[in-house]
Amino acid sequence: MDADWDEVSRIPFPPPGVHAMPTPVTTMIFDTSQELLWTGNDFGRVTSFYGTKMQLHTSHKAHLSADGPVRQLLVNDKGIIALGSKDVHMAIRRGPPIWHIRHAAMKDLRCMSFTSKGTAEIIVAGLQDVMLVIDVSKGEVVKEVPTEHQYTIMKRGRYICAATKSGTINLLDPVSFAVVRSWSAHSALINDMDAQHDFIVTCGYSLRQGQNYMLDPFLNVFDLKKMSSMPPIPFPAGAAYVRMHPRMLTTSIVVSQSGQMHVVDLMNPNTSNVRQANVITYLSMFEIAPSGEAIALTDAECYIHLWGSPSKLHFVDLPTPTEFATPEEPIPQIEWTADTPLNSIGLPYYREVLASAWPDFVSDVGAPPVKFDSQFLSGLKSTDFGLYGRNSRGLRRNQVEDTRDLGKSDHSGLKAPKFLSEKARESVKLATLL
Amino acid sequence: ELTSHLFRELENGRIVRLMMKLGAVNERHEFDGDRSWSENGERYMLKLFRDYVFHQVDANGNPVLDAGHMIRCLSKLDAGTDERICLTSRDEQTSFLVSYKELKKQLGNAFGDLQKSSKQV
Repeated sequence: MDADWDEVSRIPFPPPGVHAMPTPVTTMIFDTSQELLWTGNDFGRVTSFYGTKMQLHTSHKAHLSADGPVRQLLVNDKGIIALGSKDVHMAIRRGPPIWHIRHAAMKDLRCMSFTSKGTAEIIVAGLQDVMLVIDVSKGEVVKEVPTEHQYTIMKRGRYICAATKSGTINLLDPVSFAVVRSWSAHSALINDMDAQHDFIVTCGYSLRQGQNYMLDPFLNVFDLKKMSSMPPIPFPAGAAYVRMHPRMLTTSIVVSQSGQMHVVDLMNPNTSNVRQANVITYLSMFEIAPSGEAIALTDAECYIHLWGSPSKLHFVDLPTPTEFATPEEPIPQIEWTADTPLNSIGLPYYREVLASAWPDFVSDVGAPPVKFDSQFLSGLKSTDFGLYGRNSRGLRRNQVEDTRDLGKSDHSGLKAPKFLSEKARESVKLATLL
Repeated sequence: ELTSHLFRELENGRIVRLMMKLGAVNERHEFDGDRSWSENGERYMLKLFRDYVFHQVDANGNPVLDAGHMIRCLSKLDAGTDERICLTSRDEQTSFLVSYKELKKQLGNAFGDLQKSSKQV
C-alpha cells in the first residue's frame, strides 16, 4: 500500500426500494476484466458500480427476495454468477440473464468456487450434505458430490480451500473434490479466508469463557508447499478480514472491525504498513481488486468505501471497455399532424428478416359476430356504460367461437335454409334482446 | 406520388404487424408464473421495453406521447440494431443495458412459443 493511498470515494449502498431503509452489502467482488465492483444484497439483487467514482452501472435480480441474500459472486469472461441459498443465476454484465438453476439438492448454499477447469466449471456447497458441480457454459448441474462436511467459505488456490462452520479448513482436490488435508485454523469459527499460490490465510473466532465469541488477535497462515501451518502473525486489534495481495505473492492485507489495516509480508511479519479507514461503526467486509491498486470496504451503515492511490487507482490492469447505453444521436423534429406519414421515420439498415414479418397464417375474416344467449344476457346488470355480470357462458374468457356453424351445433340434424325475411325477423328479435 | 403512397402503406403495415406481435406476447395470462417472464427471467426485458416505448414520462412524471419516439423504437426493434438502451423496472431497482438485437430475439422466441401452442400451425 503506497504512502498516498487514501479513501477515494464513498457511496451509500442503494436501498432495496424507493422509500426503503438501506441494507448491508451481503457479498462483493471486483470484476476480473472491467472497471466494475459487483455487490449482492439481502433481497437477491446484484448491482454493479463503475470506476473510481463508483457510479451505479447495472442492477438485476438474481433470486427471489424470499430466498434471501446473495451469498457469493464469481466473475468470468461471459458474465457474473450469483449464488443464492436455493439457486444459482448467471447473467451477462449488462444485466440480462444467461441461465438460472434451481435444483432439488440446493437447500442452503453458502459458497462456491471455480474448479480445475478454469472458469468453465464451478462447485457449489453450503450447510447441506451434497455439493453440486455446474458446467458454467451450459448452465447445467453435471455432478452431485456427497460431502461429510458443510462449508461456509470457498477459495480457489492450488486446492479448493473450504472453511467449515467449526473453524476447520479442508483442502479439496479440484478434480475429484476429495479432502486432501484438513487444517484446524481457529477454535470456534472462521470469519474470513483467502488463498493464493502457496498460502492460505484465515481470520477467526475463539470461544472465550465458554460463551463469548472473540476475534483472534492473530492471522493464521498455512503453507501449501510444506503442507503445514506457519506461526500465526500477531494482530492485536483483532483480525477480522484478510486478502492476499494479487501481485505481491507473499503479502497480505489484514483488517480489523474498527478499520485498522495492516499490510503484512508473510515471510517477514515484523515490518508492516498500518492505515486507518475512517469508519463510524464497524467494517463488515473487505475485498481487493485484481490489480492490487484498489480495495473496497463496507461498513455497518451500508456505505462502500473505495481506497487506493488517487492518481493510479484502477481495478484491473488492462480493462476491456465497459458497455454503456448507446449515446442518442440528435433527432430531427417532426411536426406530427393527422397526415404525417409513419414512414417519415425510416427503418434502420437491416439484413435479416424483420421482427414484423409474420408467419403464413390462415385467418378467418368476416365470420358473423358472436351471438349471446338470452339467459346470459338476462343475468347481466345494466348501467350507462354497458351491461355487466359474471361470465356464465361456459366459455373461457376471450375464447374463440366458431360463429360460422353456430346454427349447426345448436340443433342436431340438417335444417332447411332460411328465407331472407326469416333472417330479418330473427335479427330484429336479437336486436331487441340486446 | 404513387410510390410514396405505396411506401407509406407498407410502413404502416410493418408497424401494425410488429405491434400485433408485441401485443400478443406481453402480459399474457398463460405466462403468469412462467419463470422466463419473472424478474430474473430472460423475457422480463420485453415488458420493460413496452414501458420504454409507450410509457415515457417527463421529469415531473407526466406522460409524454411522442409518436416519433414510439415509431423510432419500433423500427429499431424491427431491424434488430446493435444500439443499446437502458431499460429500468417500475421500482427503479433493475437496470438492464440491452441491444435491440437481443430484444428482437426475445420477441421472436416469445412469439414462437405462442405459435407452437397455437392450433393454427
